[in-house]
Amino acid sequence: MDKKLGTEKGLRKPSLKAIIIIVILAALVTLPVWGSPYLMNIFVLVLLYIAIGQMWNLLAGYSGLVSLGQQAFVGIGGYCLAMTSQEYGLPLVLGFILAGVVSVVFALVISLPIFKMSGVYFTIGTWIVCECLRVFFSSWKFVNYSIGYNISATYKMLPSTIYFVALGIGVATTVLVILLLRSKFGLGLMAMRDNASAAEIRGIELYKTKLKCFLISSFVTGIAGAGLYLNIAFIQPNAAFGIDWTISMTFLVIIGGLGTIEGPIVGAVIFVLLRQLLYDFPGFSMLLLGVIAIAIILVAPKGIMGYVNERFGLDIFSIRRRLD
Amino acid sequence: MEIVVQSLVTGVLFGGLYALIGVGMSLIFGIMKITNIAHGDLMIMSTFLTMTFATSITGGNMFLAIVITCVVMAIVGILIQKFLVNKVIDKGSEPALLVTFGLSIAIQNALLLFYGPNSQSLSSELLNKNLVNTPWAIIPAQYAKNLVVAIVIIIILTIVMKYTSFGRAIRATSGDRMAAELMGVNTKRIFVLAMCMTMVATAIAGLLVGETFVFYPSTGTQYLIIAFGVVVIGGMGSIPGTLIGGIILGVSQMLGATFFGPTYQTLTGYIVMLVILTIKPQGLLSKKARL
Repeated sequence: MDKKLGTEKGLRKPSLKAIIIIVILAALVTLPVWGSPYLMNIFVLVLLYIAIGQMWNLLAGYSGLVSLGQQAFVGIGGYCLAMTSQEYGLPLVLGFILAGVVSVVFALVISLPIFKMSGVYFTIGTWIVCECLRVFFSSWKFVNYSIGYNISATYKMLPSTIYFVALGIGVATTVLVILLLRSKFGLGLMAMRDNASAAEIRGIELYKTKLKCFLISSFVTGIAGAGLYLNIAFIQPNAAFGIDWTISMTFLVIIGGLGTIEGPIVGAVIFVLLRQLLYDFPGFSMLLLGVIAIAIILVAPKGIMGYVNERFGLDIFSIRRRLD
Repeated sequence: MEIVVQSLVTGVLFGGLYALIGVGMSLIFGIMKITNIAHGDLMIMSTFLTMTFATSITGGNMFLAIVITCVVMAIVGILIQKFLVNKVIDKGSEPALLVTFGLSIAIQNALLLFYGPNSQSLSSELLNKNLVNTPWAIIPAQYAKNLVVAIVIIIILTIVMKYTSFGRAIRATSGDRMAAELMGVNTKRIFVLAMCMTMVATAIAGLLVGETFVFYPSTGTQYLIIAFGVVVIGGMGSIPGTLIGGIILGVSQMLGATFFGPTYQTLTGYIVMLVILTIKPQGLLSKKARL
């Protein structure tokens, strides 16, 4: 009896969810047809911020690695795009591939010292690595010192092309995170976050699991970084390796809900809209973001989606396992 | 050879100032086990406050201005601890980290709104005078003052921590919060007082930084990383460790600048920090982690 009820409920709910998801996806795919260029540009930002937010969330929310150094990969991604297209005249696709590959290789190299540190030392260590990169790129001839590059290959691109690139990155990242967390690997990841020693006793290799997470997030953040610089079309080390990227990731994840999949999506929409609305007051918008983030941690520590989830049981991309 | 001696001397002098910048962060970490990401911005905020008080209230009297700043920063510290950090401190270290992160962004941008992005400096007549002037080494009077003030503050803090009942309560709290609570220590009150104390030390660091270097609203981040460096080299929570950490950081920066050129000054400092973090992840002088 109970079991039957369970399956009935299980059948009805996903279909409703599926309709909502399909409607949203259809709206996103056809956006270049019905939307204005301004709206398209906003969605480019939203989608790319979703991607980098999901990756920060994967690190901080699911594997307990609070990194303040994700901007390293945004910068590397951007520079790969700029160097391949501007310096060597290669197609942009190659820049994207290189962005992911170089990011992973760099992540692998820095993981050797970084993973020796734990907790707060890890947080600080990742940040110092980024600062090293920022200073190093400013004095490196190969990347044109601190002058940087205009990425002129993007000037000729249609806004809709950039939009579809962003859409691909945003949707693929979200799907990747859902699949990842529903897999055995994801279960291990959450077990590790909740109780590391218990997880280790059950056979989860802590070091390997964390490293895989770090590499995946660096790969995607690198590609998303290339996407972001496809849109900005100008790169310079102080901005590319600036802490602002990680501030954005942190805030949109906190506002949306740490450790939820919907969180970064909701957070990215709010973050980008807020920034656009307060575009004329750049200092003030950041000030407001800081205050909002503090207020959310104090009032609803699990963020908007965490709160909604708890209160109304709404769970769109469920990664929980049914026990029936 | 002379240039190496000079960079060693300058490195040690800078090290004192760095230690004073880091000592507040080290105390907060040692006592509350949280990292105050807003530390650098709070310090720069106090520098701006000193500048404002000196020009508008005290008419150029630096001593009076720094006294007012210390009082204001102490109150700011109490408010931050009481209404922000204490509210989330029981929920683990991440919410507290993120609260101070939010605070850092808010302070930085508030300073930008009030004072604009231009660089400022506190005028100090000591900056152009030399205390020692030999072919081997030059010691500017301001740098010497920085080192002396830093050492005095660090000694005072050590005495307070070691010999007063307040210090004993702090050490009990940082050793075992639950046990301290059971012995009648109001730990949240201790946290508030400790934050108040570190804010005063930070305000003095802010004054010295303002007198020695130019500053602007976004320099807080730079000093936060210096504070990090000092603290991770010396070991989080160790007060004498900050002095050693500061000197190692200062000397390595100056030697880096001498051998590889001035652009590599910061980079050498960062790399030394990373190397030390890799070899001794808990810092050079830290006590063994209590589990």
